[in-house]
Amino acid sequence: MQPARPYNGGMFFFTYLARELRRRLRQAIFIALGLAVGVGLVITVTAASAGVKNAQAGVLKGLYGVGTDITVTGAAPSAGQAKPSTGSGGGSRVSLGMGPNGAQMCVNGKCRSLKNGYTIDTLTSSSYAPMNEKAAAEIAALHDVAAAAGGLLLTDNKTTISQNPSPPTSFSVDGTDISQQKLGPLSDAVTRTGRTFKAADANRNVAVVDANYAASNGLKTGGTITIGGTKFTIIGTVAQPEGSNPPNVYIPLARAQSLAEQGPAGGSLKNDVNTVYVTAASAADIPAVQSEIAKLLPKATITTPSSLASEVTGSVSSAAKLANDLGKWLSVLVLIAAFAVAVLLTMLAVSRRVREFGTLKALGWRGRRIIAQVMGESFVLGLLGAAIGVGLGFAGVAIINAIAPSLSATLSQPTGEHIVTPNGALNPTSSHTVSVPLVASVSGAAILAAVVLAVAGGLLAGTFGSWRIGRLRPADALTKVG
Amino acid sequence: MYELTGVGKAYTTGSGKVLAVSAVDLTVGDGEWLAIRGRTGHGKSTLLNLLGGLDRPTSGRLLLDGRDLGRMRDAELTRLRATAIGFVFQTFNLVPTLSAAENVEAALIPLHAGLAARRRKVAAALDSVGLTDRARHLPSELSGGQQQRVAIARALVKEPKVLLADEPTGNLDEETRDEIIGLMEKLWREYQLTLILVSHDGAVVRRAQRVGVMSRGSISFGA
Repeated sequence: MQPARPYNGGMFFFTYLARELRRRLRQAIFIALGLAVGVGLVITVTAASAGVKNAQAGVLKGLYGVGTDITVTGAAPSAGQAKPSTGSGGGSRVSLGMGPNGAQMCVNGKCRSLKNGYTIDTLTSSSYAPMNEKAAAEIAALHDVAAAAGGLLLTDNKTTISQNPSPPTSFSVDGTDISQQKLGPLSDAVTRTGRTFKAADANRNVAVVDANYAASNGLKTGGTITIGGTKFTIIGTVAQPEGSNPPNVYIPLARAQSLAEQGPAGGSLKNDVNTVYVTAASAADIPAVQSEIAKLLPKATITTPSSLASEVTGSVSSAAKLANDLGKWLSVLVLIAAFAVAVLLTMLAVSRRVREFGTLKALGWRGRRIIAQVMGESFVLGLLGAAIGVGLGFAGVAIINAIAPSLSATLSQPTGEHIVTPNGALNPTSSHTVSVPLVASVSGAAILAAVVLAVAGGLLAGTFGSWRIGRLRPADALTKVG
Repeated sequence: MYELTGVGKAYTTGSGKVLAVSAVDLTVGDGEWLAIRGRTGHGKSTLLNLLGGLDRPTSGRLLLDGRDLGRMRDAELTRLRATAIGFVFQTFNLVPTLSAAENVEAALIPLHAGLAARRRKVAAALDSVGLTDRARHLPSELSGGQQQRVAIARALVKEPKVLLADEPTGNLDEETRDEIIGLMEKLWREYQLTLILVSHDGAVVRRAQRVGVMSRGSISFGA
């Protein structure tokens, strides 16, 4: 028999497919719903996980500023390494004890008799060891690095000698590279009063103060603040985003380098930085850049968003663990169960249709044509599962956004103080807790992945059914009772 | 048409080998109507499966128009069934989700016929069995006799050389049986088919040109 026109079996294929699905409607709905629940869960968990990651990113962004992918710092001095006579680069080491002339207070190895009213004001790199400022230029020259800027994270410690010694007070100071203000802590700041730095401020005693710190310490634009024993004019106040833990005061990098040298510690930070802020060419390049910096500066500490995230505690961290561990495995288990149900029900359906397939083989249908028919049915069920699953996923996300409480993030940071007492040395840290909202959102990639998963589940079921059909001998199939 | 020489079919079961068809020698001419009768389990359906290329003999030679069915590849047998052999089953074996017309059309799918040609042939086939007005009905909406008519239309729509019928009236009442056999006889003449029909019903086999009796896997013909 010669074909009168080009073959057009497509309509028959779809008619047969639709009728078959309609015949076992309940079973088809059950399979599609099983896949849908798995897919919906994957979408919900992915969206929640993305929401938690965004919350974490918000916290981390505030810590080092917008645009910073990697932070390179000198190694933090340990308590064991601390020596009272050490110069700059160590913490502000304060000890109380008895000297040859009676009670004395030692700050960074310099001991003075306790006379009423005497104030020791030091500006030191207490948290991180210094690096030569050329490190920033060397890092900037690395492949896949878009920009790098050096900075000095310092601590100003004030200790007043008194008959009744009181604990030293301190605040954090950031030596900012004025030529690269788009990197580092000041990059994310919003000017509240006055202004921030201009190029001409590079060697001036001018400071920008964090608005919260200014408010709590009665500091105002136009006023002064004493840093490392030198008076600085406050040219402005800035506000940082919620969730950040900003320095209290910003001064030009050159002044910070110079002042740290003039402090009572006696060491020099001239031409030094203790932090380098790095922007990678792209997010995908961060691991490579991290590796390159590690080769360049083997002793430096390299912090990426992911490594920093591990230091964040609080409910945001718990939620991340919950989404990554429990959520992921729950999704995997539900998907496996959905796939298993789909496979079993499809195998069952094929078993019930053995005589039908045998008849089609007797009519001259090729095995792969019958398999295509079954795979087509499974594909449609997968698509249906995907469509329902996406809807369920959006519903799950809506529920999360409606009922999820705000998350808290806590990050411990060294205060920069190093206190030696008769019972041992202390490196106090301060904890900073912020509240961050959890906003779960569904991405296109998540939807695509979910659709692929559901269709894959359907096709997997169809494959098992097809395997059965492929092994079917027509004569045997026709003897089966339908 | 068919030339069988020492054809046998053995199955291996848990209790050993079972010889379903044993050394059958048979010749069926073009346009002949051969009826095969015999008791249940004596190899009638197995022989029909061998003649239809649904199964392969384990011994002997089975030629259809000079081609050895036992040596043909699976794809060739599939093609042969699609073009040259029509089947009618006792239980009709219609696809329950497809209408009468679609069930008939299913036989044309392997032939890669165009949609218009398929529709035309289906209409003609249904008309030849008197079911034009039932074209859109599902099998469940048809009587047993009507379902078997659809099955006959499905077998003949591709204009095969051979029609193999396995107990085609086994599930029908007497009146319908006579109707169906009458129809098959009419079509056998019109289409000049080679008709091989298996039945244990004497009233059915009596209408054939030649009657063979299967007993314990062997076929014999009366004098």
